[in-house]
Amino acid sequence: MSGLTEHGAAAETSAAARTKGLRKVYRGTVAVDNVDLEVPMGAVLGMLGPNGSGKTTTIRMLLGLVTPTAGSVELLGHAMPDGAPRALPHVGALVEGPGFYPFLSGRENLLRFAAAEPLLSSSDIPRAVGEALERVGLSGAAGRRFRGYSLGMKQRMGLASALLVPRRFVVLDEPTNGLDPAGTREVRTVIADLHAAGTTVLVSSHLLSEVEATCTHVAVLNQGTVVAQGELAQLLEAGGANLLVSTPEVTLAVDTLRDNRIPARPVPDGVRVDLTANTAPAVVEMLVRAGVPVHEVRRQRTGLEDLFARLTEDTAVGEIDDLDTLITQEAR
Amino acid sequence: MTTLAAPLPVRRAPMTRVLRSELRMVLRRPRTLIGLGLLALVPVVMGIGISIAASDSSSGAEGMAALVVGNGMLLPIFALSIAVVMLLPLTGAMLAADALAGESAHGTLRGLLMAPVGRGRLLAVKAFGVAAVTLLAVVMMAITGIITGVALLGGSGMLTASGTTLSFVDALGRVAVTVVFVAIQVWAVAAIAMAVSAYTEHPLIVVVVTLGVIIVSGVLSSIPALDWLRPVLIVTSWDAISEVIVDPLSWRPLVEGTLRALCYLAIGGSIAFSRMLTRDG
Repeated sequence: MSGLTEHGAAAETSAAARTKGLRKVYRGTVAVDNVDLEVPMGAVLGMLGPNGSGKTTTIRMLLGLVTPTAGSVELLGHAMPDGAPRALPHVGALVEGPGFYPFLSGRENLLRFAAAEPLLSSSDIPRAVGEALERVGLSGAAGRRFRGYSLGMKQRMGLASALLVPRRFVVLDEPTNGLDPAGTREVRTVIADLHAAGTTVLVSSHLLSEVEATCTHVAVLNQGTVVAQGELAQLLEAGGANLLVSTPEVTLAVDTLRDNRIPARPVPDGVRVDLTANTAPAVVEMLVRAGVPVHEVRRQRTGLEDLFARLTEDTAVGEIDDLDTLITQEAR
Repeated sequence: MTTLAAPLPVRRAPMTRVLRSELRMVLRRPRTLIGLGLLALVPVVMGIGISIAASDSSSGAEGMAALVVGNGMLLPIFALSIAVVMLLPLTGAMLAADALAGESAHGTLRGLLMAPVGRGRLLAVKAFGVAAVTLLAVVMMAITGIITGVALLGGSGMLTASGTTLSFVDALGRVAVTVVFVAIQVWAVAAIAMAVSAYTEHPLIVVVVTLGVIIVSGVLSSIPALDWLRPVLIVTSWDAISEVIVDPLSWRPLVEGTLRALCYLAIGGSIAFSRMLTRDG
């Protein structure tokens, strides 16, 4: 009976993973509190947050490795951790660094984990392992003991074991740890390939450029709670837009704009104009009419870095209101 | 609701495949191989020592040790009765420590949980690995014991403690009884170790706690005022091995020792199981 309702829920869900009011307390320390996370089906969601913000704990609860103190987790339509036998075969994960047997070779390690994969038939195992090794560029080193692998090679092994079977959902916790720039690019390619194939991906990272380059959605965690989540483009847009005008006549430009009640402030080589209430052409026209020589006009978007800094630093008290509206907007 | 198709059955990796993979992994671990090799050497070293001491004539050996001279089929039994006190429990504890605590420390337990191998199933797989390899250790000791005994100490059949002589086949039977009895005793120790192993990520703690339990049990059983405690101590069973070389075989102490070991197995297994269900991966 419960199986039926579970199945029914799976049919109507559109999120690959969803948590509600998730809370985890470790011996009196609150690691994660009130996390409502939603990973839309087919999205590449970047999970951002400073060290200790609860990213890994949330992921571990998502995968049923840790039982939440309170709240619920739904993975591919199945309530976790009870639904683990149904959900996890379709989920590949690299969590908290790759765990392998140091005395076995790379290939033997993957063969071992492949043996435990419910969706792999015994005759398919050698092929699946070979392909996974190929995919992460470890075929050449597959016969060497895991003990002797470099940090980057170990990380690649973790990726290979997450990709042993075609997955519906892939979770990568800090996948580029220890990778050189080429390895980082390869991880991006892997994520892009997965996305193109319709796989939902959850990447946790503290490398913002990595997230900005690969993700469609972002969730920002700070001190154990989700402080913002939504589509990357929308979040960046909500951060407010500015117009950068380069001109030698900075004072004249600022005065003109302020006379017209348009917020502006001097920056090196020009002024930054707030576009909240105005359009770019109107601002440019106003400046030119006032005789300000305009050399260059450029729209400035809030970078993920600015957004992240605003969301995770406690200092900017003046921006709290603004921030709250941003969060409530995105939480809806 | 009724129009909904029944949910797909849960798919699991075939159990035999997972068990085979576990066994292959444990037998590839250098520690396991070295341990097995050293254990197999114990009867050989004992046989050599006894044959040298015997040529020295009047050695003051007593009990089973005195009986082994010129009575080669007794060597495997003698060796196992010595090893069951410390070496074999140490082996069982080490295997159990690696099975859960060690794998947890390496992060490999998490990999198996995410595959997913169900938590109860995972414990069963791990317990199987430990049990199979401890049995292998005991069997190997018996085999090297028989070979060394027959080659170095000689004798036809087995001279029992009762003064009768058993045929070679009957003697093999006695060795087999010893192997089964000792293996179950070591499993009991390993079950305690598995329970500890389910609670920690530090293999060393498992080995220390398990050996601590055995040593304390040994001390307690040697205190006459605590005689009432003896029936519940695991070490009490181990004296029963000397019954194997009595003719006719008296089963009672052996059965009693086995039942005691089974109690330890049940208790250790239950604790390990309840912990595995909630353990953080």
